[in-house]
Parts: sequence; structure tokens; C-alpha cells
Amino acid sequence: MENEDDLIKGFFKDLKRQDESLSIPKFPETKVKSFPWWIPMGIAASFILGAFLLFQRPEVPEAPADVIIISLQENENHEQEILIEEKAYIDIWESSTSSLLTEF
Amino acid sequence: MKHSELENILKNYHREAYLWSRQCCGFEDELAKDVLQQSYLKILEGKAKLRYPEKVKLWLFSIIRFTAIDELRKNGKWLRLEDSFDLIEQEREEVEMDYQKLLMRLSPMQREVLLMVFYHQMTIAEAAEILQIGLGTARTHYERGKKKLKELIETSQTEAENGK
Repeated sequence: MENEDDLIKGFFKDLKRQDESLSIPKFPETKVKSFPWWIPMGIAASFILGAFLLFQRPEVPEAPADVIIISLQENENHEQEILIEEKAYIDIWESSTSSLLTEF
Repeated sequence: MKHSELENILKNYHREAYLWSRQCCGFEDELAKDVLQQSYLKILEGKAKLRYPEKVKLWLFSIIRFTAIDELRKNGKWLRLEDSFDLIEQEREEVEMDYQKLLMRLSPMQREVLLMVFYHQMTIAEAAEILQIGLGTARTHYERGKKKLKELIETSQTEAENGK
């Protein structure tokens, strides 16, 4: 058994010696394909921009809280005067042409 | 593990890896280079992952071996274990003291176990792990391989002495 092992060991020793003369290729340049991150990033940016534009509502000017009532009244000197009032609501509304119904 | 760390490991084992690749490819240099390149890419692209850093050599040798088997299969050069036994008897006439030719007359499993143990200084257990076979089976390949190789060496020496 020992003789057998020596023979085998000698064989592989010689093989190793023979392989020493082999030219070993250079370590190959390995360029690993990196994942193109700019593609998903671009898609995500487009979605964000789209969502931003979609949900951005145009500003609507707020209506004044009070109602301005401009009325023409006759004062004690029988002169016409313009009366401007600011109210939160209108309690009495008179049509501007109602006088036509009553006076004629 | 980082890409640069893996690359350093591969550089350290490069010579041994190339020799193993060549041995797995039936001593064909060009095929061995292709197999080695593919194996490195598998590793660096993360297709093959190192789970146990202490077993880096076994891991690398396994990847090279399986890549070589795939390539040999593609080229129709891969022989199944049972197919390869008759090959020894059929080619007996061509015996000469050529290390590679003698090794190629062993079955792939016998050849690989002997190369890993006697050439790459591994244990039979490590060889079994690379070949993904049981320790008992690896031992059988080891013993039979040694016996067969001894016969081949002796025949070769006798024929060389007789001046054939």
C-alpha cells in the first residue's frame, strides 16, 4: 500500500513539475455589468412630477365674506343719496325694478 | 462580500483555479480559459454566493467543475461515470508515459478525486464535498482510482523499458 502511494505521489509530483512550465493566463478583466440605476430613477422621477402636477389645484380667489349692499335712499331733505352697507347676509332683497310695479 | 474582496480571493487562487479548470476540461487550454472566465463572472455577478468563507477553495473548485461539466456537455464531450469505465480497456494500446493521457484513462470521478487529493492537497472529505457525493463513495473512487493508475503507470513504464 505504501509502495502504491509512493508511486502515485511521485506521478503527481512529476505532473506538478511539468505544469510549472505552463503559461497561466492573466487574471481576466472582469467588467461586471452594473445595473443601470438611472432607468428606474428616471421612471420614479417622472411619476413624482406627474403626481405633483396632477394634484396641484389652481388657486380660486375666495369670495368676500360680507355682502356689499348699495342702495339709493331719500334723506330728510328729500335728496337722493347712496347708502353702502356691508353685511354677512341679505335679509331683505328688493328688486331694482320693483318700483315699476308699484308706481305705475 | 464586496466585489473587490471577491476579486482579491479569485486573484489569490487564480493559478490553482486555472490548473483545476484545465484538469476538469480534459487538459484543453482554450476551453479551460473559457470555463474559468465564466466561473469568475458567475461569482462576481453574484450568481454564485459564498456562504462559508472558510471553504472558499472548495466553493471555487465546485463552481469551476460544474461550469466545465456544462461546457463539456454542450460540446458533447462529457462522459457519464458508467460510460467511462470501458474507455480504459479500449485505449490500452496507446499507453505511453504521458501524465495527462494516463489520467484521462481513469473515470472522471476517479481522476477528479485523485487530482484533488494528490495534486491540490485536499482531503477525501473535501473532494467528496466538491463532487457532491458521500464520503464512502469518494473513498471507493479514491481506492479504485489509485489501483487503476498504478496499473497504468506500471504498464507505461514496462513499455518504455521495452522500447515500445
